[in-house]
Amino acid sequence: MSNTLRPYLTAVRATLTAAMCLENFSSQVVERHNKPEIEAQTTKESLLTPVVISRNENEKVLIEPSINSLRISIKIKQADDLERVLAHMFTRFLMMRAENFVILRRKAIQGYDISFLITNFHTEAMFKHKLVDFIIQFMEEVDKEISEMKLSINARARIVAESYLSQFS
Amino acid sequence: MADFDDDYEDFVDTSIPARSEYELNAGIQDRSNQVRGFVSSGRFAEAVAKALEDPPAGRDAQGAKDKNLQVVMEALAAPRGTDIPVIVKQLAPYQLDTLMKFVYRGMAYPEAFNPSVLLTWHEKVTEVTGLGSIVRVLTDRQTV
Repeated sequence: MSNTLRPYLTAVRATLTAAMCLENFSSQVVERHNKPEIEAQTTKESLLTPVVISRNENEKVLIEPSINSLRISIKIKQADDLERVLAHMFTRFLMMRAENFVILRRKAIQGYDISFLITNFHTEAMFKHKLVDFIIQFMEEVDKEISEMKLSINARARIVAESYLSQFS
Repeated sequence: MADFDDDYEDFVDTSIPARSEYELNAGIQDRSNQVRGFVSSGRFAEAVAKALEDPPAGRDAQGAKDKNLQVVMEALAAPRGTDIPVIVKQLAPYQLDTLMKFVYRGMAYPEAFNPSVLLTWHEKVTEVTGLGSIVRVLTDRQTV
C-alpha cells in the first residue's frame, strides 16, 4: 500500500513546487482590484493548464495554477459509508474554521472533498517549501486520522453493545 | 467579460493550423500499428518514442487527441517498472516534455488507465528533467 503512496506524494510535491510560482498581479478587468485569477477566471491568459494527479479512482488531487494563485483540491479515500461520513464531517469541521488555516478554501471544488487556495500573498508571507510540506503532510495525516476514527468508533460500538447486552445474560 | 474572450478565443498559437480528425486519423492508425508491433517484439523504448511522435495538440480535433492518448497509454503500460528508467534515459528532452503531458493527461482518467504505472513514469521523468518538464506542461497551450 505504502509503495503506491510514496510515488503519489512525490508527484504531488513536484507538481506543487512547480506550480507555486506566483507573483503579484492586479486584475485586468477591474481597476485597482487584485483578485486570485484562478477564482475570478475572467482572463484566460492568466490561467495555466489544470492537472490531475491520481492514485486510483477514489484518491486524486486537482491542481489549478494561475499567475497569482493556485487552487489545490483533494479527494480523500472513502472505502465505505462510515469513512464517507467521517471524511465529510472532518472536512466540514475544518472548512467551517477556514480562516484559522489561512490557505484553506471555504468550499471544496465539485467532485473533491477539500480545497486549498494559495495566493501570492501567502507565498510572500510564508516559505514556499513549508507550504508544500503542509499540503503533503495534510494528505498523509488525513487518511491516518480517518482510519483511526473509524477504529475508535468500532471499538466504542463494541463496548456499548457488550454492556447493553450483558443485562440479558 | 465577453469581449475579453473574443480577443483570446482559445488562447493557443493561431499560427499553427488546427488539423481535423479526418486528417489525423490515418496517422494515428498507422502509429498504433507500429507501436503494437514494437511492443509485441519487446522493443519498448522504440514503442514509446514512436507513440510520442507528432501528437495531435492544441486546437486539433478532440476525438483524434483521445484516440492518440489510447496509443500512448498502450506504449507506456507495456514495459516493466524496472525498464522505465532505461527508456527515459534514451529519450530526448523534447520527447520527455511530450511524455510528461501524456502522463498528466492519462492520470486525469484513473478509471481507464492504471495510475500507478503513470506515477512511476512521472517519477522517473522528473528525476531526469527536474521541475522543468512539469512547468512546461502547466504553461504550454499546445495541450495533448
